[in-house]
Amino acid sequence: MPPVIDKAKCIKCEICAQICPLDVIRVEKKDQEREIVVKYPYECWHCRACIKECSSNAITMRYPLSHMMFYMDVPTADRSDCKCK
Amino acid sequence: MQVKIRKEIIKTELLIIGGGIAGLQAAITAGQEGTSVIVAEKADTRRSGSGANGNDHYMCYIPECHGDDFKRVISEINEGMEGGPWQDQIMLRKMMKRSYGIIQKWESYGIDMRPTGKWVFEGHAMPGRQRYHLKYDGQNQKAVLTQKALENGAQIMNKVFINEVLVNEEGRAVGAIGFSLAEDDSEVIIFQAKAVLLATAQAMRMYPHGNPTFIFNTHSCPAAAGGAAIGYRAGARLVNLDVPYIHAGVKGFARSGKATWIGVLSDIHGKPVGPFLTKPNRETGDAMMDIWPGIFGERLDNGTGPTYMNCTELSEEDLKYQEKAFESEGIDSITEYCEQRGIDLRKSMIEFGTYDYSLAQRGIDINLDGMTTVQGLYAAGICCGNVRGNITNASVWGDVVGEHSSEYVKQVEEFDISEHPLIKEKIDFYMELMTKKIGAHWLEVNSTLQRIMNDYVGLKVRSETLLTAGIKYLADLKRYSVSELKCENSHELMRTLEVLDLIDLAEAVALTAKNRQETRGNHKRVDFTYTNPLLNDKFQTIEKTKDGIKMAFRDKEK
Repeated sequence: MPPVIDKAKCIKCEICAQICPLDVIRVEKKDQEREIVVKYPYECWHCRACIKECSSNAITMRYPLSHMMFYMDVPTADRSDCKCK
Repeated sequence: MQVKIRKEIIKTELLIIGGGIAGLQAAITAGQEGTSVIVAEKADTRRSGSGANGNDHYMCYIPECHGDDFKRVISEINEGMEGGPWQDQIMLRKMMKRSYGIIQKWESYGIDMRPTGKWVFEGHAMPGRQRYHLKYDGQNQKAVLTQKALENGAQIMNKVFINEVLVNEEGRAVGAIGFSLAEDDSEVIIFQAKAVLLATAQAMRMYPHGNPTFIFNTHSCPAAAGGAAIGYRAGARLVNLDVPYIHAGVKGFARSGKATWIGVLSDIHGKPVGPFLTKPNRETGDAMMDIWPGIFGERLDNGTGPTYMNCTELSEEDLKYQEKAFESEGIDSITEYCEQRGIDLRKSMIEFGTYDYSLAQRGIDINLDGMTTVQGLYAAGICCGNVRGNITNASVWGDVVGEHSSEYVKQVEEFDISEHPLIKEKIDFYMELMTKKIGAHWLEVNSTLQRIMNDYVGLKVRSETLLTAGIKYLADLKRYSVSELKCENSHELMRTLEVLDLIDLAEAVALTAKNRQETRGNHKRVDFTYTNPLLNDKFQTIEKTKDGIKMAFRDKEK
């Protein structure tokens, strides 16, 4: 599931659920408790809005393999001696 | 789940549907004119739409940088991504003349329009030509515009989805129907307004993109089905639906912002594939993507591909510059993905792909005041069909509508919408969807819609027989959907109504594609293989009238 919320860090401010452009994160009420749930992970756009707004750094993004980027190394692009990294 | 109904009708002078760049700019300008404004946004205006997390290039004309030869400016823009045959030239000239004014406003609001202290123009450019895309840092743009709209008196209603515009018997837009998504139970909200602005994004989920298991893997924000469908049902004329727009970018992980990349398009050996660049160029980028956005798909089809974005020859300074620009553009997910999977742009090229058809800037036909063919119904931004220009389009026409609608609302009387027949009809439909025990999920419909559009109203080939079949299958899908769809909660109700919007628009796309009996651009008819010169200066339109659906070819410049 794309956004992963670390419950140990989450302060339940609900900003992620409020801000998500795709309504992926919802607040669910169970008895008197309000729980933040990544309810619609397949509708995530991976825009990182939730991560940017989270003041307690409780959210990380897992990029699904359905979004795999294809890449190819360039043999001539040897930057092993680069000191800038 | 229940459908509640808010008893009180919410009244305002200008109702804005969609709090993206266009909607917020309209709210600011109208608010400054003293107009009462409500912005209804289905997400949260601080992070919604395709500008949610930023932009880093804004097409504009700044006389002190580009000189006074405005004719030359327009000519050069027409050679680039935002110009060409699908741009109404009168609209383009008005947009460009007003663009510097928006830049100045945004800078005064607190958006960093010149991070280096100077006006810098980069990307979407040809070597040796003037450049018109202002390099800026837009990562806070939505929060800033939201704050400014609030300061100017606009009321913002987040988590409110609008489904229909109400039009009275005189043919005037007088309100809208929507519902709140805040709780799982939907709460229907009725709006009464003197003027309504459609400022939604484009329809993104009509054609397949990326991976079929993740239909939200789209290059622009996948949230929208588009105000174009709402406008179409309300009687507004649509334009240019029939000639597909295609975009390009990272293959697999769809994302706009190709001009934010400053590498060279290369083949598998790292050799440039285009004539414009042999080394990376921060100022122009590789113009091949704008001139030939189909390059990636076509090179795959003919076996010469794949085609890569090659940043391996960027200097360390340019790599950092590009990474910062990804943040400004709001596409830093790309950076994070590469970090997580150990992809180093210093030694690896990223494959780019041609994205499938989208309805970017194919949609509602507006006049120079931003009004549609329905009185009191305005449209602005990427859901419009006769003006291009992405964020420039959205901000300038939002500003134009803010001004014009403020005059308009002074001239018309309020219309009591409480007995409007569409209100009961829609509430009954929502209740039926929300209370059905067994039925179809919206995703079933969306995936079948994509299959029909790809196979019968697609990009590679079009013909009378394919389009006739496609139109028939769309009608079947719509009929089944209306009777079989069901929803569990307000979120699913939103997605369900979005997919019905998509079908309405898809039918308009298919009908106009069938009606264009020639080949033009990406509209390739095997039964009409030539381009008809008599249609060179025409746009095709479609609208719902009392006598049925009417299609016509109008002069490009009204």
